[in-house]
Amino acid sequence: MLEKLSENLNKAINKIKNAMFVDKKLIKEVVKDIQRALIQADVNVKLVLKITKEIERRALEEEPPKGFSKKEHIIKIVYEELVKLLGEEAKPLKIEPGRRNVIMLVGIQGSGKTTTAAKLAKYLKKKGYRVGLIAADTYRPAAYEQLKQLAEKIDVPIYGDLSKKPEDIVKEGLNKFKNVDVVIIDTAGRHKEEKGLLEEMKRIKEISNPDEIMLVIDGTIGQQARVQAKAFKDAVGEIGSIIVTKLDGSAKGGGALSAVAETKAPIKFIGTGEKIDDFEEFDPKKFISRLLGLGDL
Amino acid sequence: MFNLLREKFMKAAEKIKEKIYKKGEAEEVKKEEKVETKEEKKIEEKKEVKEEKSKGMSFFDRFKITRTIKRVIKKEVVIVEEDIEDILEELELELLEADVALEVVEKMIDSIKKELVGKKISPDDNVEEIVYNAVKNSILNILSREKIDLEEIIQKNRKEGKPTVIVFVGINGTGKTTSIAKLAYKLKNKGYSVVLAAGDTFRAGAIEQLEEHAKRIGVKVIKQKPGADAAAVIYDAIQHAKAKKIDVVLADTAGRQATNINLMDEIKKVVRVTKPDLVIFVADALTGNDAIFQAEEFNKAVGIDGVILTKVDADAKGGAAISIGYAIGKPILYLGVGQRYEDLIEFSPDFIIKKIFGEEDIKFSTEREF
Repeated sequence: MLEKLSENLNKAINKIKNAMFVDKKLIKEVVKDIQRALIQADVNVKLVLKITKEIERRALEEEPPKGFSKKEHIIKIVYEELVKLLGEEAKPLKIEPGRRNVIMLVGIQGSGKTTTAAKLAKYLKKKGYRVGLIAADTYRPAAYEQLKQLAEKIDVPIYGDLSKKPEDIVKEGLNKFKNVDVVIIDTAGRHKEEKGLLEEMKRIKEISNPDEIMLVIDGTIGQQARVQAKAFKDAVGEIGSIIVTKLDGSAKGGGALSAVAETKAPIKFIGTGEKIDDFEEFDPKKFISRLLGLGDL
Repeated sequence: MFNLLREKFMKAAEKIKEKIYKKGEAEEVKKEEKVETKEEKKIEEKKEVKEEKSKGMSFFDRFKITRTIKRVIKKEVVIVEEDIEDILEELELELLEADVALEVVEKMIDSIKKELVGKKISPDDNVEEIVYNAVKNSILNILSREKIDLEEIIQKNRKEGKPTVIVFVGINGTGKTTSIAKLAYKLKNKGYSVVLAAGDTFRAGAIEQLEEHAKRIGVKVIKQKPGADAAAVIYDAIQHAKAKKIDVVLADTAGRQATNINLMDEIKKVVRVTKPDLVIFVADALTGNDAIFQAEEFNKAVGIDGVILTKVDADAKGGAAISIGYAIGKPILYLGVGQRYEDLIEFSPDFIIKKIFGEEDIKFSTEREF
């Protein structure tokens, strides 16, 4: 995963490392390389220009702190700006003990919500929580069947009813799962042009009053990530966190970074495969140092 | 969908043209009365264009209208790279924002540059046309013109008494199963008999999803148990189609990442065993630069004959359509434009050109059947 982005960023970093001396021309060249690498990884173009401008400004203006060479300082700047883009600190999912927590999953068609619902349920179950799943997608044929099969596999109770409206399923499901620690609501896929569906999502949110709304984003999404993420955020008021899926493929996940910047929500998990255990917590610092080939800083 | 690309190309062409005029010390020339009345009419037209921006007018028409007053170049102009560098750099960024993959953007920009830099433009030349052609060619150069007539294939096979077998491949969640349902619906309405093969034996609920679609459309599904061999399921469906004289077999397969060697080997086996007439790659129009990689890898593995581009109604900018066409040199056959069975529209390179340089944009429904 992400090899290509990593390779391209590394090339830029190595250009600094191997330079005889650091001058304006080198910095500009490196900034161009970083731009190219990020754009190719589907990071929003405007966002790329913004952060690379900041990298350029800092590299030209800032004096390296004591003990750092100019080269090391520039590498540090690149690292810091990229980490900033991802929201700095790892923000693990918090489950309040002693009461029922509600998590609602939203996202575009095919981004991986249903599989993620099961993955998240398994992750929480492993941590010792009692989990319940609600299948609130009544549109896609066999969506309920899909989640049911997954729920059986991980032995987690599920509520769904194909004869009901999504809002009523959520209501009933919440009634049923009074004594669990976490309820995960899977919703139908929708996109920003489907106003009616965005409204429906809003109603589900009002009924379930979730502790956290998680936006599930396909790692392969391109420049549309930003506007789509904005539409989701506008509809439900706030996106609490982001899960990026399909990062086991060739996707570079840059679109997800754009969604992070747009929603100001941190990435909490990444999906790295089809199996229920292919699910990892996300840490921006570790992620970027791995991307830049820096090891742990 | 191609509205945005049209705007971007238009803007760049306009700027290049201005540059050429400036360089050639262009000046306003008023000709005989006859021309003047024409000019007035054109000025009015221009107003309308402003009010009603992109509606119902082709790229070239709008392009010409901006020439409200006939301008001429006084002396010969040679375009040098510096003249258009900034303009093309801006166009580059704008195309990237429209999800045209970096590789393709660079190729397009290069093509415009090659065609214009060093070009001598004399007072007799039509500046509009020169610039317009440079821009148009940049797109034509990367679009394949190969065509597939699905109905022709089906009819030919029917005469030979055998079914047309189409296998759908792609990464996870792009819309293979839904696209199969839409195509089955389309073919059935055109009077062909169709059977579906539930070749995704892996994903939870995949077989049930296809069955539900089949029930609604009124076609049969050939299936086995989850975990069964995909090639065997599709093979069964082909045998069934042969026995019952069914025209078309549409075979679903599980989503797989092109980086997953085992699963790519599996799909190779499926294609080897079932020998389909067409392998269709289903791609998500919201995909960015990964579109090229995916298309190339699947093409290498199983040889793609055509593409269905899905989720175009989600305000995709059309970049993926151009990028995928370039990557594999294979045509896009259909666009998926919504959540109803009829939301599958036919597509061709001419269609792109018409949409970018032609009149109106595509309209989508937001109704939902599934």
